[in-house]
Amino acid sequence: MQFGIFSVGDVTPDPTTGRTPTEHERIKAMVTIALKAEEVGLDVFATGEHHNPPFVPSSPTTMLGYIAARTERLILSTATTLITTNDPVKIAEDYAMLQHLADGRVDLMLGRGNTAPVYPWFGKDIRQGIPLAIENYHLLHRLWREDVVDWEGKFRTPLRSFTSTPRPLDGIPPFVWHGSIRSPEIAEQAAYYGDGFFANNIFWPKEHFQRLIDLYRRRYEYYGHGSADQAIVGLGGQVFMRKRSQDAIREFRPYFDNAPVYGHGPSLEEFMAETPLTVGSPQQVIERTLKFREYFGDYQRQLFLMDHAGLPLKTVLEQLDILGEEVVPVLRREFAALKPAHVPDAPTHASLRAAAQAAQRAGKQEEEVSR
Amino acid sequence: MTTRTLTVLSAGLGNPSSTRLLADRLTEAAERALHARGITADTAVVELRDHAHDLTNALLTRVPVGSLREVLDRTAASDGLIAVTPVFTASYSGLFKTFFDVVEPGALAGIPVLMGATGGTPRHSLVLDHALRPLFAYLGTVPAPTGVYAASQDWGSDEAGALTERIDRAAEEFATLVAGGAPQRRPDPYENPTPFEKLLSDL
Repeated sequence: MQFGIFSVGDVTPDPTTGRTPTEHERIKAMVTIALKAEEVGLDVFATGEHHNPPFVPSSPTTMLGYIAARTERLILSTATTLITTNDPVKIAEDYAMLQHLADGRVDLMLGRGNTAPVYPWFGKDIRQGIPLAIENYHLLHRLWREDVVDWEGKFRTPLRSFTSTPRPLDGIPPFVWHGSIRSPEIAEQAAYYGDGFFANNIFWPKEHFQRLIDLYRRRYEYYGHGSADQAIVGLGGQVFMRKRSQDAIREFRPYFDNAPVYGHGPSLEEFMAETPLTVGSPQQVIERTLKFREYFGDYQRQLFLMDHAGLPLKTVLEQLDILGEEVVPVLRREFAALKPAHVPDAPTHASLRAAAQAAQRAGKQEEEVSR
Repeated sequence: MTTRTLTVLSAGLGNPSSTRLLADRLTEAAERALHARGITADTAVVELRDHAHDLTNALLTRVPVGSLREVLDRTAASDGLIAVTPVFTASYSGLFKTFFDVVEPGALAGIPVLMGATGGTPRHSLVLDHALRPLFAYLGTVPAPTGVYAASQDWGSDEAGALTERIDRAAEEFATLVAGGAPQRRPDPYENPTPFEKLLSDL
């Protein structure tokens, strides 16, 4: 099982001091946080992609390329890459390039983006969000698997004899997760391709995500990629920890109360009861996270949201220390003990390459190889 | 005897409120009219006041939680709605509108609605046709031709007979719509997702 963090990259005033970091400070803080993630033994760092203030990460592969050069093991990912407003050709090129630079330590999570004003800036319409996600990924999927592509669609200039360069490292496209908060179509899409499905698991109650993940698992099996419990599921989560839970709640409350999205809405207590947010002791976080497996089945990737709502860098780094030292080692042990042998780990470049080589040796069709 | 599910949405703020009073009268009349058609009503009455905080939270976070989620689910699964609002500042109340603002688009399509409104003076009675009817048309519901407006004076003995007559007429129309058959519901997209080949070919 993989553990990591995902960052929205928001520039938010610290409500306890009123101080807003500069964009430069925030960008550097994201890098520091990513390096810390590797240092404390986490597996994944994922950055958001945004094209409007107060967010800084508009250029994920630039940031991830820089982090790649300064890390050894960390898998670099996104949360999410906008499959709607980005040109799929540019996604194919950028992430293949990143894959080479990072020696394969790359995957990505595709999402639609729900900020309505962003779409028209890129010549798109948010009402076409699902069709854009369907068509753009269909092209992206081909660009990474076919050396020469002839293509014509609804949303983009046709391609004639186009080769996306560089070709994916070792001929193995980056593994793709499809992220969704509430679209059954995206769960269906992930299942169709046999890709991963990532449930944001932040804003909605678990019953909602259970339906979404259940749909993905059922359809994954329907499309012949394996049994439902072998589908590749990732989950978000949101935690704030101190040794004593009342200290965690006291310290986190002003950040919660003023947070973008849910601030000035439900109380911290209501939100903790209704969503997976856990503010408390490391033991409480362990117990709550283990519950996710009971709700959603054995899953492959757990990402935590740690650096948001104006939390100071120092606090975020302390949180990562607690996560890496006290929480994740226990979770690794517990999840591993519970996982049946036939449930796979999350695909990595190495595992996909080994599978491709094995398939080649078995003389299988190329189409099966490159899934 | 067949059963139909009714959900009564009352946006009154006081306790007791004349809005709830009208809602109860409409409910009673509707149940009687259904019974005459061989139909038992499975009725739940919802005081929107009890969900006011969750409604505001749903506006802010886009997430309906707790008992509000149950109310929304029940409302969307109903065979008929009885919706009653007080008139505030020349229209339905903000609480009443907020409830319908957090309903999923299309979730109420095809459901018969019995509309009611209460106000201090009879001069607001056209609120039913100027404000409520367009709202329910937008939601794709099927409002009964007659809505019932009750002003303070309607509760007095002189006017009570006229109010009862309107309630009975509206309830008869509503019952005919509800008895006509369960509303056509869209397939559950989680149980029956659109197959990927169709998503692709529909582009």
